[in-house]
Amino acid sequence: MSGIEVPATADSAEALASVVALRRLADRLEDAAVEQAMRAGWTWSDVAEALGITRQAVHKKHAKRLIAAGVELPRRR
Amino acid sequence: MSQEFGTYVKAVMERAADEAQRAGAAAIEAEHLLLAMAAEPESTTRRLLDSAGLDHRAIRDALDEEFRRSLSAAGVIVDDRELPPPSRSPRRPSRIGASGKLVLERGVAAVAHKKDLRPAHLLLGVLRLNAGTVPRALALAGVDRNDLTARVRRSLPGEAGQR
Repeated sequence: MSGIEVPATADSAEALASVVALRRLADRLEDAAVEQAMRAGWTWSDVAEALGITRQAVHKKHAKRLIAAGVELPRRR
Repeated sequence: MSQEFGTYVKAVMERAADEAQRAGAAAIEAEHLLLAMAAEPESTTRRLLDSAGLDHRAIRDALDEEFRRSLSAAGVIVDDRELPPPSRSPRRPSRIGASGKLVLERGVAAVAHKKDLRPAHLLLGVLRLNAGTVPRALALAGVDRNDLTARVRRSLPGEAGQR
């Protein structure tokens, strides 16, 4: 891992809240990173490969949002 | 169910769907319901929230602070200026999430007879959440949940018949 030190917490509420917040942060980072890649001309396949998920999954999750944001998307094949 | 309660819940759900969409959420959760209640013109519930210092902005700030603190408990320090804002969901969510369902269930469970339901019971449902984002945010906003619960109860008619 990089320089992030994960403090041990004895408080269960805090530990669980951290999980929720990290998931939310990861979602926000994923949205931004996928948008950036697609604007830079990446294909769905490359983005999917980089995220370690299927092309169908990445398309299903992000296509509508990116179209709504005005990103020009490559055709799917 | 009183017509007043039904109308109120419907209006809050509409507003909460907008809040959820803005936050990029897939479902309507407790925090979206609370934000919606703070923006809804219905007077009793709004006044109760205001009495605890909870206007829409204050709730928004408390939720942001809860997010930051929970991340920092995991060793992640975020600077809002560097963090990408949540991206708006392309579709307005119509599904109510687990925490949103709890709010409704616990609000409704606060009365013995459904005909006694009033708009403020939805707020009671929020105050009856014990864990998760919303109770943590309320604590960070300095809200005394027991005190606010008591005030909500006092605002309701037929208090003796309440569970």
